[in-house]
Amino acid sequence: MLAATLALPGAQIKGRGTPGAPVQLDVYSDYQCPACKALYERTLVPLMADYVDKGKVYLIHHEFPLPMHPHAMEAACYACAASRVGKYEQAGDVLFRTQDSWAASGKVDQTVCSVLTPVEAQRVRALAKDPAIIAEVQQDIQSGRNANVSATPTLILTHRSKQYRVPGGASYEILRRFIDQLLAN
Amino acid sequence: MAAVFLYAAYTKLREPWLVFAMSIDAYQLLPQWAVLTLGRTIPWLELLLGLLLAMGIALRYTAAAAAILLGVFFGIMVHAYAQGLKIDCGCFGLGEPITARTLLRDGVLLAACLTLTFLAVRQRARRFVAQENKLATQS
Repeated sequence: MLAATLALPGAQIKGRGTPGAPVQLDVYSDYQCPACKALYERTLVPLMADYVDKGKVYLIHHEFPLPMHPHAMEAACYACAASRVGKYEQAGDVLFRTQDSWAASGKVDQTVCSVLTPVEAQRVRALAKDPAIIAEVQQDIQSGRNANVSATPTLILTHRSKQYRVPGGASYEILRRFIDQLLAN
Repeated sequence: MAAVFLYAAYTKLREPWLVFAMSIDAYQLLPQWAVLTLGRTIPWLELLLGLLLAMGIALRYTAAAAAILLGVFFGIMVHAYAQGLKIDCGCFGLGEPITARTLLRDGVLLAACLTLTFLAVRQRARRFVAQENKLATQS
């Protein structure tokens, strides 16, 4: 299942770290979901510094915009479009950090373009409406449904072909303890 | 009730204990040391209660302990639901978000456990009265 998602176009671009890392963490999240913002800020940011950038964990972000969030799909499309100009992480970061603002105003375009150069912004605006990008988001949603993802954030850790579903609301301290345990085995 | 507790224990014990600890942590109610302690012990407690219920050993105490445990679980689930936390209930493994349906199910289980406790206590009281009457008759 997860190996299949890696084969999707764009999936490699949205991965961070070393693809052959001992642990793979698939995150299904929605840019407009407050719990996903909390997960990003409190857990994923330190995790990237401590594990992903050190080659211990390969992090893959999957778009899973929920229908209850009116701007989530647009945000996911903009993030995927930003990945085409190599700014996926910057787009995701600004979307989570300023979630309260754009979720209320609906200014997704302005938010994402604030981390792009004018040339990049022009390209991303066009790409965000491209059917290929929308299809990419839909493929992410479908891969989540195939993995029985029903809520966001959902985290799936894979270590030696065994998958562990991890609660999205857990603290970084306990998650890192679990990852350390997996790495020690 | 024994089957419910045994199944709940099984779903937790088949996963690394830290996964269940993270489910408890997601409720954001307890300090880390308590989360880790409960993550290690609750599945074994459920297993023990399930076995004792199945064997009918000290039923009134076992059923009361099970009812207390279910009451605590139910209380924190209602609290999380009221707070709008979108988390897994952690009752029978992961992937089961707290919804009105899971609350209804756990409420029914709690009611069943309380009924079992009541019946076990009443049965014991009846036996005691019968024994007293028998002794009184003999003397």
